[in-house]
Parts: sequence; structure tokens; C-alpha cells
Amino acid sequence: MSSPIAHWDPEYQRRAATIVERYPDVRSAVMPLLYLASLHHGHVTEEAMEEVAALTGLTAAQVQSVASFYTMYKRERVGRYLVSVCTSISCFLRGADEVLAAVEGATGVVDGETDDEGLFTVEHVECIGACGGAPALQVNYEFVEGVTPAKAAELCRWLRDARPEVVLGDEMQLLFGGRPSFDPGAPEPEGAIAPVPAFGPYGSARPGTGGGR
Amino acid sequence: MTERILTARMEAHPADSHTLARYEATGGYTALRKALGEMSPADVAAEVKASNLRGRGGAGFPTGVKWGFLPEDLRPRYLVVNADESEPGTFKDRILLERDPHQLVEGIALASYALDVHHAFVYVRGEYPKPARRLQRAVDEAYEAGYLGTNILGSGFDLEVTIHLGAGAYICGEETALLNSLEGRRGEPRIKPPFPAVAGLYAKPTIVNNVETISTVPWIVAHGGRAYAAIGPERSCGTRLFSLSGHVNRPGDYEIVMGMTWRDLIFDVGGGIPDGKALKAWIPGGASAPWFVPDEHLDTFVTIDDCAAAGSMLGSGAVVVMDETTDVVAAAHRIVKFFAHESCGQCTPCREGTTWMERILWRILHGEGRPADLDLLLDVADNISPGLRWPPAMTTICPLGPSAVSPITSIMRYFRDEVEAKITRGATVG
Amino acid sequence: MADAPDQVSITLDGRVVEVPRGALLIAAAIEAGTYIPHFCWHPRMKPVGMCRMCLVEIDTPRGKMLTTSCTTPVADGMVVETSSPVVKKAQEGVIEFLLINHPLDCPVCDKGGECPLQDQTLAYGPGDGRFVEEKRHYPKPIPISDLVALDRERCILCARCTRFSEEISGDPLIEFVDRGNHVEVNTFPNHPFTSYFSGNTVQICPVGALTARPYRFRARPWDLEAVEAVSTVDSVHSKVSLEASMNEIVRISGVDCDPTNQGWLSDKDRFVYEHLLADDRVVVPLIANGDGFREASWGEAVGLAASRLADLGGAVAGLGGARSTNEDAYVFSRFLRGVVGTPHLDAQLDDGLAPEFAAAVEPRALIDDLDDADAILLWGPDLKEELPVLYLRVRKAATAGAKLVVVHPRRTGLDDVAAHTIRYRPGEGPALLRRLAAGEGDLAEARDALGAGKVVALVGRPGLAEPAELAEAVAAFALTLDDARILPLVRRGNVFGALDMGLAPTLLPGRVSVDDAERRRALAARWGSLPDGVGMGATDILEAAASGRIGALVLLGVDPVRDHPRPDLARRALERAFVVALDLFVTDSTRHADVVLPVAGLGEIQGTVTNLEGRVQKLNRVVPPPGQARPAWSILDDLAAALGSELEADAVEKIFEELATLAPAYEGLTWDRFDWAEGRDGVVVPLEGVTPPLRHVPSDPGLAVVSERPALHLARVLYDDGVLVRHCPSLASLAPEAAAHLHPRDASVLAVREGDRVRLEGVGVVELPVVLDPTLAEGTVYVPFNLAETAALGAVPSVRIDVVREAGS
Ligand SMILES: Cc1cc2nc3c(=O)[nH]c(=O)nc-3n(C[C@H](O)[C@H](O)[C@H](O)COP(=O)(O)O)c2cc1C
Ligand code: SF4
Ligand code: FES
Repeated sequence: MSSPIAHWDPEYQRRAATIVERYPDVRSAVMPLLYLASLHHGHVTEEAMEEVAALTGLTAAQVQSVASFYTMYKRERVGRYLVSVCTSISCFLRGADEVLAAVEGATGVVDGETDDEGLFTVEHVECIGACGGAPALQVNYEFVEGVTPAKAAELCRWLRDARPEVVLGDEMQLLFGGRPSFDPGAPEPEGAIAPVPAFGPYGSARPGTGGGR
Repeated sequence: MTERILTARMEAHPADSHTLARYEATGGYTALRKALGEMSPADVAAEVKASNLRGRGGAGFPTGVKWGFLPEDLRPRYLVVNADESEPGTFKDRILLERDPHQLVEGIALASYALDVHHAFVYVRGEYPKPARRLQRAVDEAYEAGYLGTNILGSGFDLEVTIHLGAGAYICGEETALLNSLEGRRGEPRIKPPFPAVAGLYAKPTIVNNVETISTVPWIVAHGGRAYAAIGPERSCGTRLFSLSGHVNRPGDYEIVMGMTWRDLIFDVGGGIPDGKALKAWIPGGASAPWFVPDEHLDTFVTIDDCAAAGSMLGSGAVVVMDETTDVVAAAHRIVKFFAHESCGQCTPCREGTTWMERILWRILHGEGRPADLDLLLDVADNISPGLRWPPAMTTICPLGPSAVSPITSIMRYFRDEVEAKITRGATVG
Repeated sequence: MADAPDQVSITLDGRVVEVPRGALLIAAAIEAGTYIPHFCWHPRMKPVGMCRMCLVEIDTPRGKMLTTSCTTPVADGMVVETSSPVVKKAQEGVIEFLLINHPLDCPVCDKGGECPLQDQTLAYGPGDGRFVEEKRHYPKPIPISDLVALDRERCILCARCTRFSEEISGDPLIEFVDRGNHVEVNTFPNHPFTSYFSGNTVQICPVGALTARPYRFRARPWDLEAVEAVSTVDSVHSKVSLEASMNEIVRISGVDCDPTNQGWLSDKDRFVYEHLLADDRVVVPLIANGDGFREASWGEAVGLAASRLADLGGAVAGLGGARSTNEDAYVFSRFLRGVVGTPHLDAQLDDGLAPEFAAAVEPRALIDDLDDADAILLWGPDLKEELPVLYLRVRKAATAGAKLVVVHPRRTGLDDVAAHTIRYRPGEGPALLRRLAAGEGDLAEARDALGAGKVVALVGRPGLAEPAELAEAVAAFALTLDDARILPLVRRGNVFGALDMGLAPTLLPGRVSVDDAERRRALAARWGSLPDGVGMGATDILEAAASGRIGALVLLGVDPVRDHPRPDLARRALERAFVVALDLFVTDSTRHADVVLPVAGLGEIQGTVTNLEGRVQKLNRVVPPPGQARPAWSILDDLAAALGSELEADAVEKIFEELATLAPAYEGLTWDRFDWAEGRDGVVVPLEGVTPPLRHVPSDPGLAVVSERPALHLARVLYDDGVLVRHCPSLASLAPEAAAHLHPRDASVLAVREGDRVRLEGVGVVELPVVLDPTLAEGTVYVPFNLAETAALGAVPSVRIDVVREAGS
């Protein structure tokens, strides 16, 4: 019997192994493995859920039950740039609806959809913890705060033209952001390489960093 | 009132407050050295108890008392740090994770030592990859430097720390939902009792504390619990972080000694309302909290107990300010919509009721309201939170469902005429 | 306060009542006569407190508090209100919330008329719906398995089905999907709900969201006529309600019987009634006519059978009775011994255990003993396949902390809850047993687990190619432990009842040895005469019939061609002998009969049956038998009369009375006893204080180790090609693919891959595709017993394997 993830690239396979090691109980690895699988497949496909099931000894139905509970496990195709506009109360008070409309306009993608090309997915999201920098959005979960409708549209056009390989929060904030929730301090070298949060073992621009524990 | 405990380092060293080097250079990990060198676990716990620190996750439960609930004889025990911060208006844990992660790591090591914990987890919300990266780097550095791992600082104490990323579910901030999520399950709150301290992660005794709570521990150990207890009002002692957002001139995170008035907080600290507009209402403690209005509450003191006495809560310290132009029905709708979206779906009243209330508000907002809708709205709310009182009674497992009632009772109490006007206008137009 | 230490007193709506300490408030209140409405709570599952229907008010130091009675244990002095205005309003609220998205299609819903939501809406619901928006919509019922359909619009998300699957049956294939107001119950795409227990979810669904596809739209609850019986699909005897509409059984539901099934059934128990309605059921007497049969009158058929049996004198043998009632079996026993005068009779087909061991092992465990066992040794069949409801009980015990040790040649359904799993190659059982007893090497931990506290040893044959004596040897080992009890495992419906009725060459009715002189005298006094000596068992009978030494065989509901380990021998025997068969169908065996007499089936007769722990329970009748079918005892009574003898078997109560007088283990039982409260859950025999019948203390027969390769593991699966399943359309399609299962290393030695074909030679030759099974002991081939494609193989210790190479490759 070959491993269900034998077709994953070796780097992901190594990460899968370290993820399982970090928990006293293998079931706890379901969530990080779902991120890893969606990094490999582009989103949480049925195949991805079956792989995670095989890795954790759960049934695919159990994995689906977990995956579908959380909004960040995308079970539909996602664009290269996932633009998430916060429309919760603080951002709403500061004009979030207009920002969302501007993003829809600039990308040609309506809330909840992905374009044919697979470049953009646009969604409105609940509070992302950037209320002090409202209105705020995230591209592949990297923050851009204090945006205006015009700046948000500009950001989308820039993503389309520049097509950055790595999405860097600091870069976007500098070019298109306004007042952030707080002074960010030192610049941050890491960014996202896919519409999966860029954290250690999952979607970091520096694969293999962090998350080893 | 300019005491800085949690934010002093980031204030003074914006460029590198998150690094181990800066942390050590500014007295970091001396508390841990001291504890492991000269104090017993019980001594550390005693200092925390003496500090009268109350949890910063929302409920304000005294941390030392909670730690005391761990059964004597059951092992292993776990510590879980709640970094799920998802309540609309809240962004205080984010700054602690991004700007001073070693403070949290040291707090984790101290708390774990005090509690005889050898594996701690930090549950960071999925939308916080940058804070998670900063924290992970701090954890890695700490392992490197011998502050985590086996035989910490030669003391024989071992501690492993695992960072777990959430994936978009506010309810996972509720501690038992968080534990389910950490176990690889749906983030559905559990029935309490048993409380996590008795049967938590993997059914083992577990302490769940907020990021800010644990970040405060190094200072308490370094300076003594009594020093902490001496800061500010007796039952709301110490400093705490407030997240100011909405219609204020200077939104942001502020570390404050409790005891000032709301007027001070909104107008002095927050710089007042933009464009000289008038203040209409504010939410004192996150989206779940009943609103305050200037006529009644501007001179109320910002303490846990004063806020409770006035019928609301300090909650997670998120203050959302609304100016005179705010459409309160739209604002309430937004908040109810949030809770409807975030309901885990277990409890019938929360799953069905929050959605129903959201739809009624939407109707009213779009000129399709009917006069009977006001009573209906309150009655549906009453079926989730009987009596519509504060603190809320609940027909649900956890307080999320009842939280969705707060904006509704608030607008009906303070702005009923505005809501009615929407309905009447809707009726005449439609 | 309360006096009894295990009781506490609570105030329930102003009334002080004593309730069991530790009980959940909802259960205690209902027990005390105060009904608390509920949806998600189910007495056999852990409470989750999700539906919020069971809210009550409890006095606390901080005033009255609303809380769910299903999650709150009672405490001494607790003051509870179950219908205060606050409670009533909350309940109305919950019902209103549930109805927001629930379709009002009760008139066309299977559940209409027996729906808790419908009932509670009338009792506790608000008047009108105030929800004016559009309800949630899903495509109408979707099939989620061959047996179950799901209508998500009707679902009230109580999680009973999902919890059952995870917590009780251990196959979580149906789960919540999505969150909040979008939550639905569903399976994973292309992973159907193929649980052996799926029907239970239909039964416990409080609305019509899950429906049984075989039952959909068959009947309305209010025209169902129902009686209690037990399932005779296997020897656990789960309690059921047989439900009929217009003289046809259309549904079987589980009934909660604490000592046995606790409400649950396997899908085989639940849907097996379909065979009763099969088109090809035998409903008139048949007489062989060249290649086929012709219909005959009872007089002609019985006359023919009797005259041939009379001609043959004593050269007659009887097989079967293990699927019949105790009364049928008793009359069969008396007919063969007392009327025909033959000692050659056997209810088993050498596919079970030694009769004295199965019938009279001492000390024998009850199923209930599992609940407080410290350790459980299972060395026998894969319970999930053979005794599925017992599997649920073992699963429950193991989940609750009993240390389960499973010994089997491959993975079983219980491995995931076992503390220790031990694999071995069939034939090497005796050697393994010695090592286990000595706690050698890697077996030390398992041996330790069995070393302390109360142990229940579940022993039987893991597969048909292994000797019955192995089970006795395992039992003998178990008895060397401090506190062990034995539960013998034989699957077939009423095999334990049949053995108790003396349908074995070595046993007389009532667990009596055939050479017990005193008992022989007592029987002879009633029966007229009794043949001398110990007769032949099944295999010897078949050999004798095949060689002409036995001239006639009387078959009672038995299919030796399919169930005997040597199908070829069975066929030859039946071809040669004169055969009288009492059966429901023309089977591979009764096809060779000279006379086939139609018998009545489940729900068509009354009678008693005895399960594997010795529990006697009553079957009731809900429909008349079809056509001319009759109870077996009445047919045998006619046959006896035609042979000039009188069996006095003219009413089932009378037969029962007779057997209760003559069968020592059944002494003291009365027919009525099963209708009263204390007998409703059955009665374990022998009763206290009766003349002690045979007690068999197992001993190790000292078996030789057979270690030929490749060993054969030939084991039953739940859905096989047996007579019953084959005649149930809903179940027949569920049979697994016939295959030769090989360990991957053995496969690579043979250079075969999954899907390649191999020819296996045992008693007969079969050709099967290969399936790789890394959980199988190496050096073993596993073949499911009694599938159409595997039937010819027969049970031999070891088979020859040849790879079938495609021509030209
Ligand atoms: C719906 C809900 C959401 C919550 N979200 C958070 C959260 O995001 N972060 C947090 O620390 N506590 C949150 N809490 C509170 C936690 O359940 C828990 O009380 C807290 O983490 C304990 O930490 P503390 O004692 O340090 O305050 C939430 C509670 C509820 C009911
Ligand atoms: S109140 Fe809502 S969020 Fe909380 S457990 Fe119930 S359904 Fe879930
Ligand atoms: S029966 Fe108690 S909450 Fe459902």
C-alpha cells in the first residue's frame, strides 16, 4: 500500500509528517493537514479530504464535516489572489461596502465568485481583526488596512498587472494602504504564495521555515 | 495613568521589539530565570493569584482562581492560549503577537511551570498568518535559546509549545469550541460542566487563557503579584488593552489603567469623533455587548464592575464608536448578521433564531418592515435570551446566540423611534 | 432526604420524588411520570443538549436557571420546574424555530402519524408560524445508500444519526456538513452510508428525514399492526416489533430490550422480512417430478413421505431445526427419536461447535456481563459479520474501558476499539494459544490484560476451516483466569434452542447427555420409545447417505449444500437419499428433495427461541402463513400420524408445556410467563433451583498445529448468498465481491496484483480475483464463505493456489 500522499511533492510530504508529530493525538492534525492539502491541490478537493482521512484514520465524511465547518477551507476553486474584504461593524462604519463594490468593479468578479482565468476570488468576510485600520481587506490573508475604494481598486489592478509570485503585506500596505490598526514596527519578509495562510508549514513564501515543532 | 506593562517594549523599540535579542536586552526571560531558579510552581501560581489579574478574554474571570480549579491528581495537564481573537472590534491580541511575541512565550513558560504543564498550545485564528509567523519564530528562537524544550535553563522542567492555526470560525474563541477544534473536530462548544480545568483538551485538565492574560504573567512574576494588584481600581486592577475603532479620530490599541470614564477614553485617548460630529452610541466591549449612549454612560467608569452595573460589559475591550450619522438599524443588522454567520449551528434557537432576526432587520432596513416586526423581533430575541436581561439568560449552550440579541435590545431601547420610522416610511413608500 | 444510598430526592413540579442517583434529569423525570419533550436526547446515546427542547427551570443560588434536562444529572434536593411559563415559552420557541425550515408535508411523509415533531408541535408548539420568508430548500430525498434515503429539508439537525454512527456503530459515514444555518447531514460524495446498522438511524430519526428505501410509502403508521418478537437472523435474538399492513410484514423495528439489543438491530435483522414475500416461496406441498416438482395435496405429499420413511425402518436421519422455534425443534426431536426411531440427528452442519460445549458450557456468560467486564477475550468469528448486535455491545464495553483482546486471522470490525489485536494463521491457533497462555514475548501485554478482574471470553470458530475444538481449548484457557465466563458463539438463528431440544446425536432435550439413563426413562415414558446408542452427527450422516447406509433424510430448514464445509458430499448425499424437506424455498439442497413441505416463517407462527446466552423469548404471530404453509410442528404431527404415531402436537402452548416438563433446563417455564413484565425481556434457563442439567466444563483437547501454507481462512460475511439474504432484494445486492484476499507479500511472491485472477483448489475449485489485504496473517488466503462464486471451495485447512495467466501474456 502506498501512502495516500505519495504524489505530493517531497517538501509537502515532509511537512505532513512533522505536522502529525506535533500533536499528542493524530486527529488534531486534521486542520493543518487540510491547509497543506489545499496548498497542494489549490483548494480542498474531494481528493484532498480523502488524503487527509487516510493520514489521520478518519473517514472522508468526518474530514468533510470538519473542513466544511471552517470558512477558510475552500471547497470550490479559488483564484490565485483571494481578496477578502471585511464588512463587519467597524469596517462597515468606515465604508467597507464601498470598498467591496470597488474590488468587484476592478476585478470584474462578484462577491463569492472566482473569475474564469482563476486569477481572482472575491469575498466579503467577517471581522479580520483590523478594525483600527478600517476599512481593511486581505489578499491571501495578508493585511491591507486603511484602504479607500479607489486604492482598493488600484490594488486589484496592480495584482492583475504585476502578478506577484509572493504576496507581501508590507508591500501592499505601503502602496495601497492607509492608517493601520497599529504601527507595524519592523518590515516583515514573509508573504503568501497561495490563497492559504502563509504560516510556517502551510503557505509560507519561505517553505520549511518555522512550524517545525 | 501612563503605566505600560504590555506595550512598553514595542513603544520604545518599534523596529525590533519582536526579536529575542531585544527581548533579552530589555529584561526578557529574567522572570522565567527567577521562577525556575528560586520559585516553586506553587509560588508562581500564588503571585498570579495575588495579582488579582482577571482574564482578558471577555468574561473577566480571576486567573489565579481558575488555575486553582485543576484537580490535584490528574496528569497530563495542558495549557491552551486563546489567540482566536475574532470578536468584531477586537485587535488587541494581534498587536501582542506581532510586536511582542516573546512576552507571550515567557508567559506560557511561566504559566506552564506554575501549572505542571508540559505541552502548551496556542490557537491562533487562521486570518492571522503574520502574527502566527512572528510567534512561531519567537517559539523557535526560544527553543534555540533553551527557554523552551527539554530541561529549560537547566532546571529539569520540560515544555513543548505547539502553534495551531484556526481556519475561520469565530466560535472557536469560545474555549470549549476551541478545544474541539484543536482536537481536529468541528468547533462546536461543549456542554459545561465539565469545565476545561477538569476535562479539557483530550479530556485532560486544561487551562484556557487569553493571549493578553498570559502576556501579563512575566511582569507579575518579575514585580510580584501585589505590585500588579496595586495598579488601578481594586476589582479591575492592572492595565489592559483597549481596541478603539469606528468613528474616532485615533483608532488603535491602547494600554490603559482602568478607572477612567468613557468620556476620557473616547475623547481624550481616542481623540474624539471625526469631523466634529456628535457621538451617537458606542459598544463598550465587543460586538456581543449591549451598547452605551452618551446621555447615560459618558461618565460611567471604565471598569469591569461599573460596566456590568450599567447593563453591559467590558468584554474583550473592543470599543466601537458610532457618530450621529450612523444608521443604527444598519449597524445592528451588521452585527446580527455576524452572529448568524458564526453560529456553530448546534442549538436550535441560535441556528434558526439569529438568521431569522437578521432577516427581519434586513426587511426593516430595506423598507419592507411591518409594524408587527418590532414585537416579533423582540419575541424571537426573547426565545434565545429569555427576559432580555443582562447578563443574559440563555436557551442555548453558549453565549453566542444571546450575543446576537444585544444590538437588538440596544436599538429598541435607545433608538426605537428610528426603527419605527423606518417601518412607517417603508410602509408608506412600499 | 433520600434514604436509599443509590437514590436521591428531587422536587419535580412541586412533587417530591425519589430518583436514581446519577441519572439524567430527563430520564429520571420520565421514569417518575413527568414527560419532558425532547428531540436530540436518546436514552442509549450520550446527551448533547443540542435541540434545546428539554429545557427546564432549576433553582440555583442565583435564582432560577433554564437548563437542558438531558445534560443535567439529578442532585439531591434539586428543585425543578418542567412547565413553568418560562419553560413553556422556551419550548414553544424551539418548536417554532424548528418549523421555520421544516416542510409541512406530513400527509406524504413516512413519519407522519408517528412523528415526535408532529406530536410535540401539537402538544407544545405555538399556534401559527410567524416566519414569512422562504424556507431552506434542498433537492428532495437523495439516496445515501441502497437502504436509506435522506430528505434534508425535513432534518431538524438533532445529530442522532451522526452520533449513532460514530458512537454506537463505529462507522461514521454520515456527518454534519457546513455550519450555522447551513448545517446539513450528509455522506461524503461517492462514499455511501454502507453501514451494517444504517436502519437504526432511520428508526431513531425523530422526523422523516431518514427513511428506509425498502419501506418508503409502503404503509401508513396508523394501519400497521404490530407484535413483539425477536429477530432469528442470528443467535443474539434482538427484540423486534413486527409490523404488518394488509397481511404482509412491511417493517421490522428494534425494541429496547436491556439485556440483549438495547434497541438496535443490524440491517439484516431489519430488512430480512422481504424473504417472506418472495415470489418463489414454497406455499404448497411439492413432489419431485423428473427434473422439477409438481404441486400436490397435503394428503398425497405426507402420505408419500410417510410410506417411504416407514419402508426404510431406522435407516433415516434428520438434519436441521436450527432456524426453527423451540417447539418445532422439540417436535422434530421427538419425531425422529420417538416415531421414526433414529438416533441420527443434528441441528448443526459441522459448521458450529461441539453440542455439549455450545449448549452447556460452564460458567456461561450473559451478554450483560460484558458491561462490567474488565477484559474481554474475543477469539472467534468477526462479530460485525456474524453477530452484529453483539458486536455493538462489545464495542460499547470496549469504548467504556474494558480491555478487549481480539484474536483473528485478519482485521475485524472491533480492532479499532481493541486494546490488543493478535493475528495468526489458521491452523496455528493451538500454538498461539499456548504462547498466549504463557504470556510469551509480544503476547505478554495481552496476557496481562486478561489477568486481572472479570473476564468474558467470547469463543467460537474464526473461520470454517478451523476445528470446532479450538474454541473449546480457548475456553479451557479462559477458565485458568481468575474470574472468567464463557459465551459460546454460533451464529445460526435458533441453534442454541435446537441443541437444547436435543437436536444433536449426543444430547437429549433440556441439556441432557444422551446416555443419562434416568432421563431416557422419563422421555421414553412419554415418547413411547427411544433408540439406543449415540447416533451420527451431520458429516457422518451425509457420508452414510452418500454411500446408501442411510436411505432417507428429513431436512428441517437446512441447506447442507451451502452450509456444510463439504458441499460436494452434501450434494451426493441428497442426490442418493430419499429426502423430505420442510422449508420456505427450493434451495440448492431442497432441490434434491423428493417431497418439499411448505413451512410458515417469522411472524407467521408463535413459539419460543433460545439465544446464545440461554435466554428464552417468545415470538408472536402477526400475519397468517401464505398459501398452504404451516408450522413445522404441525406438519411433523401429520407425518407422525401417517406413520401411525401420536405426537399430541396440536397447539404450540401444549408443545411448550410438554417440553418444559421433559427438558430439565426448561423446567419451571410457563407459556404465559413471557407476556408479563418480568418475562418480557425473556428468561435465562435454567431457572434457579431446578434439577441441574448437564454442565460442561471445557477442556483443552490438545489439538495438533497444522501449518501448511497457504492456510485457508473461510469466514462468513453478513450479506452472503444464503437462502434468506438471497430472497431479500434489498439485502442481496449488498453482498461483497467474491475474492481471494492475500497479504501483499504473499501476492508479490506469487507475482499477482490486485484484480488478477487465481484458481483455488479446496474440496472444489473456484476462480477468484485477488484483493490485497495487509491486515491478513501472512501465508493465508481469506475467502468469504457462501457467496455464489465461493460456494464450491469447501472448508479445508489449506488450499492450492494457481495464478490464472491470461492467454498470450
Ligand atoms: C462566543 C465566544 C467567543 C469568544 N472568543 C474569544 C476570543 O476570541 N479570545 C479569547 O481569549 N476568549 C474568547 N472567549 C472567551 C473564552 O471562552 C474564554 O473565556 C477565555 O479564552 C478565557 O481566557 P481568560 O480567562 O484569560 O479571559 C469567547 C467566548 C465566547 C462565548
Ligand atoms: S449558542 Fe450558537 S454558537 Fe453557541 S453552541 Fe449554540 S449554536 Fe453554537
Ligand atoms: S433533548 Fe435535551 S437538548 Fe435535545
